[in-house]
Formats: sequence, C-alpha cells, structure tokens
Amino acid sequence: MEVFIAQVINGISLGSIYVLLVTGFNLLLLVAMIIHFAYPQVVVLSMYIIWLVLGYTGNNLIIGALAGVASSILLNLISAPLFQKVMEKRGEVDINSTMVVSMGMGMIITDVLSHGFNKGHPIAFPDTLAGGDAIVRVGLISILPGQVYAFGVGVVAVSAFFWLLYKTRPGRAFRAIAEDPSGARLVGIPLLKTGLQSYALSGVLGGLIALLLAALLGSASSALGEQVAIKVIAVSIIAGLGNLIGGLVVGLSLGIVEAVVQGYISGTWSNVIAFVIMLVVILAKPNGLFGLKI
Amino acid sequence: MPLPLYYFLSITAVNILMSWALYLPYRMAHLHFLVVANMAISGYTAAFMVLSLQLPFWLALLTGFLLGAIIGFVVAQFIGDAPTFAVVIVGFTFIYITRTVIENTEAVGGTMGLFGLPNIGGDPAVHRWTILAILYGLVLLVGFLIHRFDHSQLGRSASAAFIDRDLTTSLGIDIKKLGILLQTFSCMLAGGCGVLYGFIYKSFHLDYFTFHVVGILMTIIFVGGYKTLWGTVLAAPILYGGPLLFPPEIASWRIVIYGALLIFVLVLKPEGFITTRFVYRVEALLSRKGTKQSLSTNSQEDV
Repeated sequence: MEVFIAQVINGISLGSIYVLLVTGFNLLLLVAMIIHFAYPQVVVLSMYIIWLVLGYTGNNLIIGALAGVASSILLNLISAPLFQKVMEKRGEVDINSTMVVSMGMGMIITDVLSHGFNKGHPIAFPDTLAGGDAIVRVGLISILPGQVYAFGVGVVAVSAFFWLLYKTRPGRAFRAIAEDPSGARLVGIPLLKTGLQSYALSGVLGGLIALLLAALLGSASSALGEQVAIKVIAVSIIAGLGNLIGGLVVGLSLGIVEAVVQGYISGTWSNVIAFVIMLVVILAKPNGLFGLKI
Repeated sequence: MPLPLYYFLSITAVNILMSWALYLPYRMAHLHFLVVANMAISGYTAAFMVLSLQLPFWLALLTGFLLGAIIGFVVAQFIGDAPTFAVVIVGFTFIYITRTVIENTEAVGGTMGLFGLPNIGGDPAVHRWTILAILYGLVLLVGFLIHRFDHSQLGRSASAAFIDRDLTTSLGIDIKKLGILLQTFSCMLAGGCGVLYGFIYKSFHLDYFTFHVVGILMTIIFVGGYKTLWGTVLAAPILYGGPLLFPPEIASWRIVIYGALLIFVLVLKPEGFITTRFVYRVEALLSRKGTKQSLSTNSQEDV
C-alpha cells in the first residue's frame, strides 16, 4: 500500500506537468489553429538552455528560470510566421500541414540537442534545482520539493490560465477565435495579434514546464522531447483535441497511471504499458473521451 | 558491382517503396507511421524465422508481407476513417511499443540486434543481384499499381476524401473501406521492405527504426511532392544520396538539413517540387509526341 501511495504522489506531480503541457498545446490549437507537435521539443530545448545558463552563472536559479521562459517564448514567436505562411499559402486553415511543419521543427531541435549540447550526452541539473532532501518521509512515502513545486505551480498556472480564459477580455478573444474565427474577425477581434498572444502565452507555460521538468526529473536527453510529444498529443486526443477540461482530467490520470505502473513493473516496460493503454483508448475512441472542440 | 553503389541502389529502392507506403494512405490525408513499426515487426520476424527456425528466405519474405498486411488490416478496422492526428499518434505509439518490445526480447537479439543473416543463393554476388532484382521489380510493380490507382475512380475518391470527407461521404463513397484498403496495402508493402532491408545489410538493429526514419520518409514525400508518385522517385535518390557526398562533419547534421528542407518546401512550395500540374504537362507532352510519331509513321506507311 505504501508503494501505491508513494507512486500516486509521484503521479500527481508528473500529471500536473502533463496538464500544463496539454494546456499549452491546446491553446495553440484553439487560437492559432496549429497542431504544434514540436511544443514538447521546445520545452526540452528550454531545459537545455536552463542547464546552459545555470552552468555559466554558477547555478543562479533566477537567471536560469528567466532564460528558460524567455527562450521558450522566443522559440514560439519565431515559429509563428512559419505557421502563418503555411496557412496563407493554402488559403485556409490547414492543421495537418502545420503539424508536418511542426514535425520538421521537432526533427531539427532533437538533432541539434543530440549534437550541439554536452557532446550529445544527457544533461544533469544541479540538486539545488530540485530543492534538496524530502520535505516529508514516512516509510517508502516521501514528498520531494520538486514534486511540491510541480504540483503547486501546476495548480496555480492552470488556475491562472482558466481565469485568464474565462474572466478577462483577452480570454474572451481567445475563446471567440476558438469558437468561430470568421465571427471573431467580424466583431473586430484582431486575429493575428490574438494569435501571437497565444504563442507568447504558450511560450510562458513552456518555460515554466521546462523548469518544473528539470526540477522533477533532474536530467534531460534529446530523446525526451519525442517521448513527451507522443504522450502530450495522445493525452490531447484521448481527452478530445482542444478540450481543456478533458486535457486536465486525462493529463492528471495519465501521470498517476504511469507512476503507479512504474511502482510495480520495472524498466522500460512500464512506459510501454502507459502507451498501450493510450493506444487502446485512441483506437476505441479516435475522437476522444470528452469530445473534439475544433 | 561496387559495394557503395549496391547500398545506394538498394536503400534508395527501399526508401522509394517506404515513401510510397506512406504516400498511399496520405492520398486521403492519413499520415500512417504504422508502416515504420511494421517494417521492424516483419523484418525481425523474418530474421528470426531464417536464423532460428532455418526457414528459407522466400518463405520469410512472404511471411513479412502477410504479417504487415494482417497488422495493417486489423489496425485499419479502428482508424480507417479516423482523423489525421489520431492516425499519426497511433503510428508513433506503435513505433515506441515495437521498439521497446524488441529491445527487451532476447530471442531477437534485444538491444544488440540480429546478425549473420545468410546470403540468398549462397554467393554474395548472387545475393546482391537477387536483392536488387526483387527491390526494383517491386518498385516497377508497385509504381504501376499506384499509377493505375491514381488514375482510377478509387484514386479520385481518395483525392476527394483528402479535401472534404463529409462531401465525399455524401457522394456515396465509403471512406472507411477506402482507408482500410490503403492502410492494409501500405502496411503489407512496409512488411516486405522490412525483410528486404534486413537482408541488404544481413543484420537488424533497432537504430534504423527510429523517429529519424519517419523524418526522412516525410521529407522525401513532401519535398518531392505528395500529390503524385513521381515526387518520391525524384526525391528518394537525391535526399539519400546527397548527404553521402557531403564531408562527414556536414553529413552528420543531415537530419537538421532534412528538417529545414521540409519546412522550407512546405512554406514556399506546399505541393512539393513535382506537382500534379507538372505531371499532367509531361503526360500531355509525351502523348502529343506519341501522337505525332504515330501520325508520321502512319503517313510514311501510306506513302
């Protein structure tokens, strides 16, 4: 029972990160109308930037965190014109083409990480980032500072995001575009500006996720982005593409299921079980459990 | 035949066939990456049959095709009419699961891979010529079939489904059956390619069946042109052969080059280099020349 409880705690912190990732992914999908397959790769690149900056500044966490957030925002904003250009060329919203462009970006980022940083070896973050020893320890059950940060920041960030989306003027603009882009344009909502805001906002989320992943995992490799990308899109599909509430429920559930399986099955098999579960759900319900929102 | 030429010709043929395996389902907007997983599943199964069960190559090759078709058919029952992103993620998930299962299965060599596949026909020269003959025979056969498909009612149905599925369904076309047909055929082709790929190098290693392969195949299709089978024929040798000519320090960045090329083409030339309009023009030109030639032959005969 102790193992189970310990793994549920791990799962909640991991699930919080999945929720943040799916939220950022869905925001781009709903407002900018792109399937940003490389969004998790952007997050992993930001983790590498954090690692680099920490190395140069003697583990200055504040500068490292700011660099991670800034790089994520910058990467998202740089990619925006590419996606817009693809849609312009097609003369319509074409999320399949944007997905392929995004996959191309993912290829580049993954290869740059596997060649250009740390001679291609995985990177390790300093212990200070994870916050040191366990806050609470009862038998096998322990709560690490990294887990608390992940869960706390996850809750605050998602709450702030939903507040922004449902209680503020820019949020109404986001929802209007997600609901009906032509109607939104008719009532005077600037599509381009609002789209860019969504890129920037998902960039902020991406930077935060990079920081939390670094604190929770303590290391990163170039292959991490691909693995997380599959999970994030799988979560998004299982929830129903664009469904924010669905993403919240499924992201958290996946984190818990994955952690619990890891508690009982060793090695890479535990990941396979999570993937098999996702595969079965996608095969049975390709349009998602909570319904599509696009 | 020099070995580098043999490897260039054989891998180019595999790339053409695999890109066609991806091209066919994409005719109705399905990016079906299950083909890469199928390549690994069929390839490893065939290698196991030959090495451990001492079965002949031809039976293993046939099994590879059949296994690919069966897996493709079963999965297509669920995603034959699924949205593109669901098909993409099913493919990626399958690749990940397949890789992990193979990595952890000692019977197929685990992380070390399988080595020592025998020569077909005993002699290395016979082996190479046999592999090339099978591969280019397949290229001709599959190319002919796809050409016929593209010019058939089924091909037009797939084009319609690419643009508007609801409209296509309302015209009485069964999208799911079409999806099942295309996905099954492409998986069958990928299964055969997996077996042949292993016999080219006479070994199997998981390093080949990675997301990089997906990237290379996608680049071949989208850079060459995803609306006609000829784009693949042009892009496969150039994209595979080009980096071989680069100095090693540049060639090691080939995935970055592929990625940049993929984005560049999609942004500036969304249909790729070989467009349907270009193919129609060439076909019209050739048929005009053919007509002129036959007219001049007839007039000479009349004289």
